[in-house]
Amino acid sequence: MIPVEHYVALSAILFTIGGVGFLVRRNVIVALMSIEVMLNAVNVALVAFNRLPTHNNAHTGQVFAFFIIAVAAASVAVGLAIVLSLFRIRRTVRSDEADLLKN
Amino acid sequence: MKPFLDLFSQNDFSLIAVVLLMPLLGAFVNGVFGRRLGKQAVRMMALSAVGVSFAAAIATFIALDSAVDAAHTAHGEAAHTKLSWLAWEWMRVSGPNGSKIAIDLKFSVDALSGVMMLVVTGVGFLIHVYASEYMREDKGYWRFFCYLNLFIFSMLVLILGDSLPVLFVGWEGVGLCSYLLIGFWYGKLPNAAAGKKAFIANRVGDFGLIVAMFLLVVYCGALDWDGIQRHANDLVVTSDRPGPIHLWPIGGGKFEDYVIAGIRIPLHNLQPDKPWTITAATAVGLMLFLGATGKSAQIPLYVWLPDAMAGPTPVSALIHAATMVTAGIYLVCRLSFVFVLSPAAMIVVAFTGAATALLAATIAVVQNDIKKVLAYSTVSQLGFMVLGVGVGAFTAGFFHVFTHAFFKACLFLGAGSVIHAMHARIHDEERSQDMRNMGGLRRYMPLTYGTFLASTLCIIGFPGTSGFFSKDEILARVLIETPTGVKLANGAAPWQWPSWAPWLLWGMGVVAATLTAFYMMRLVFQTFWGDFRGWTIGRPSQLSKSHHDDHGHAEDEDAEDGDHHHHDDLSQPGPPPHESPRSMTIPLLILAAAAIVAGIFNPAAIKLVVSTFSFLPLEHWLDPVFSDAARGITLADHHTAHTRELVSTFGAFTAFAAGSGLAYWVYVKEKGKPAREMMLKVPRLYKLALEKWRVDEAYDKTVVSGVDALADTAASVDQGIIDFVLARLTALVVAATGTVLRVIQNGVVHVYAAVMVVGVLALGWFFVQPHADFTVVEQDGDYTLQAGPGPGYEFRWYPDATKEPQTKDFSETDNLKVHIADGKSQTVKLEVKNAFGRVGSKAFTITRPAQPAGAAQIREQ
Repeated sequence: MIPVEHYVALSAILFTIGGVGFLVRRNVIVALMSIEVMLNAVNVALVAFNRLPTHNNAHTGQVFAFFIIAVAAASVAVGLAIVLSLFRIRRTVRSDEADLLKN
Repeated sequence: MKPFLDLFSQNDFSLIAVVLLMPLLGAFVNGVFGRRLGKQAVRMMALSAVGVSFAAAIATFIALDSAVDAAHTAHGEAAHTKLSWLAWEWMRVSGPNGSKIAIDLKFSVDALSGVMMLVVTGVGFLIHVYASEYMREDKGYWRFFCYLNLFIFSMLVLILGDSLPVLFVGWEGVGLCSYLLIGFWYGKLPNAAAGKKAFIANRVGDFGLIVAMFLLVVYCGALDWDGIQRHANDLVVTSDRPGPIHLWPIGGGKFEDYVIAGIRIPLHNLQPDKPWTITAATAVGLMLFLGATGKSAQIPLYVWLPDAMAGPTPVSALIHAATMVTAGIYLVCRLSFVFVLSPAAMIVVAFTGAATALLAATIAVVQNDIKKVLAYSTVSQLGFMVLGVGVGAFTAGFFHVFTHAFFKACLFLGAGSVIHAMHARIHDEERSQDMRNMGGLRRYMPLTYGTFLASTLCIIGFPGTSGFFSKDEILARVLIETPTGVKLANGAAPWQWPSWAPWLLWGMGVVAATLTAFYMMRLVFQTFWGDFRGWTIGRPSQLSKSHHDDHGHAEDEDAEDGDHHHHDDLSQPGPPPHESPRSMTIPLLILAAAAIVAGIFNPAAIKLVVSTFSFLPLEHWLDPVFSDAARGITLADHHTAHTRELVSTFGAFTAFAAGSGLAYWVYVKEKGKPAREMMLKVPRLYKLALEKWRVDEAYDKTVVSGVDALADTAASVDQGIIDFVLARLTALVVAATGTVLRVIQNGVVHVYAAVMVVGVLALGWFFVQPHADFTVVEQDGDYTLQAGPGPGYEFRWYPDATKEPQTKDFSETDNLKVHIADGKSQTVKLEVKNAFGRVGSKAFTITRPAQPAGAAQIREQ
């Protein structure tokens, strides 16, 4: 059996990739994808920890992961709607050009 | 009627509530819904509100009468009886010596307020009927009746209030309604200014009333009528506390020399040998009277009343002639027992009244605006009333209030009827009120003329009319009665009137009465007699034809005149003036009839002819109210009184005959020629009188400009210091901070995200660090150390930091007990390991002081 540390390491790497991607990319769609990557990193960690023997076969981790998938779907729906609106107004999907509130 | 009235007990006479609240209900309905209700409904509401109030007032009066009779039977003599109704307990204020003074919203009807109540609701109802026709074309119909009903309510509160504060509420209420109604046509600047002027002039008077209330609280410890009456003698105390009022040095201080930097400032020169003091009665009397001068338009505050005629004519009749302006006289009558304590205050009242009567009469003689003449005549008549109460003839003064309400209301409504007719021809506010444009109206307006003439005969004192009896009574009483006050607490008599004062007052009164007769007859002759002079007004084509051609005016000679497209043909002479509709003339008839016969309530002058005559209902009716005041009044002995009454009546009759005869000669016989000659002979005097002795201008130059200067100073302080330094400086600081902070708010989403990440990392770092901390509780040298909690914390204690720990490993023991001897000190150390295995530590040195009672001193290492 693959030790749980490997999963946690994978989760950490995925989360870092997502976080850095969110910070450095200006494309809003890519930023949304980065958020998805981070959420999935969390999911990996949750299901991995759920496999620990101290866990007594409860499925809290898996259930939690399903919740996160549902929330992620909702957030993407809202996020893409915002991106569409932004595109209609500014003809761009770059987040550094979305500065309507500033001016 | 009797079973109905038996429903109410004397001390809980809730019928008063109906009298009071019906007009308030009318005001509410008309004010809130009036715009949507339409004129008919507004009219119904307003008239029924006042009508029901009047009916309830009559029922109340009947009940009062039977209560008075019952009291008379019980005591064997007339006693002061009143019906009262407590609405609710309003407030309690601190009185002298820690007492509490209850100020209740309580209303009562006694002989005095009962008569006033009937006059206000009765005359008020008639004027409402009149106004419902007079104001018919006005857009603000509902607003007008809302204000008018509210006025009746406020006036009733003023009259029926059982204490000075409740009276004051009504006092302010009528002031407000007066302001609203003077400025009813607020679109015109002079009207708005006149309203403001009335309001401000009355504020000066209100100041006096408020000060009087404060004084009464301090000296009498009561503000309701009965309480003040019981403690009235406290106002003339000479004992040390609260003692007489010091005018100089102010507040009873003492001037002593003041040495500053070796220089002696001789302040003791300012200290009089004996402090100048007045009794509290004088102070209260003068302050109350200041309030009365504001409301009742006496010198020096009368200037607002003539301007107040800018309001609709029914308002002038109701508020500024019949009811509100008599509130000041009512106040003096109500508190007569206070006034008579101070002959000094009374002489001020009397001379103010006489001077006002005279001054206003001289102005009225030369005015051309019909309402202005009546306005100054009102001021003058109010002066007579004040003169009457000023000499202690409260019944006579109040009788004049009563009769004046009828004839002056009738005069104003008659003038309104004339203006109504003139306005239909002229369509110009100012020229339709100018008497020079009238004349001959008796042919066109017989009813108005008849009623107007009847009221005029009353006001000028035609023998047998009400005005003759009331004014004659005042003049006679001036000679007979003298206020002498009561002995002060130390047995000394108060200051007494000089012997010439009554005769001077009488002389001023007779001259004023002569002028009254002259200007009122001048008004009648110019308005109703002779030929109509108004044909040419506003109709330039008629100029050539002029007024002497009475029959030619129907011809249309100037048809080529291009000026034909007005709403009526100006080349035509227009219709002749017409009589007013019935709902205007019926009130006139009723008022005129009442004015003529009102004299029967107190025809004292008949006593001169028939010495056994004793039908004086009003005097007997009011006797219990003024019986307490009688002790401060000295009457001339019977014989002298009779002689003086004869002299006075002869003088009054002469005044009437001379004044009206002169007016007849000048304006009818000579057709105004002598008046024009006088005008040319003394043009400057004429101009001065026409401009009302330039009193307004004098006030502008002194008081108003003084206040303006003060306001300018305050404004420059406001702009220079408050606005510039405080406001702008604060704004500058805020703006600068904002500029700096705005750099962070750059509106770029990923910068916010980065900041968030940094924040999350910082928080994470904080939680990863262990935080060693503990509190120390001391008891008799035993110190308990309690470590603060944290996630996954384990603790290791060092009771002495230099030595080994208490346990080798970290454990969950989060407290430690150590004992430290007197005067010793010890360093304690705590190590904390958290879930990540990181270790933090903290050490304290605890020193126990040598004194057994001393607290521990804790010093951090």
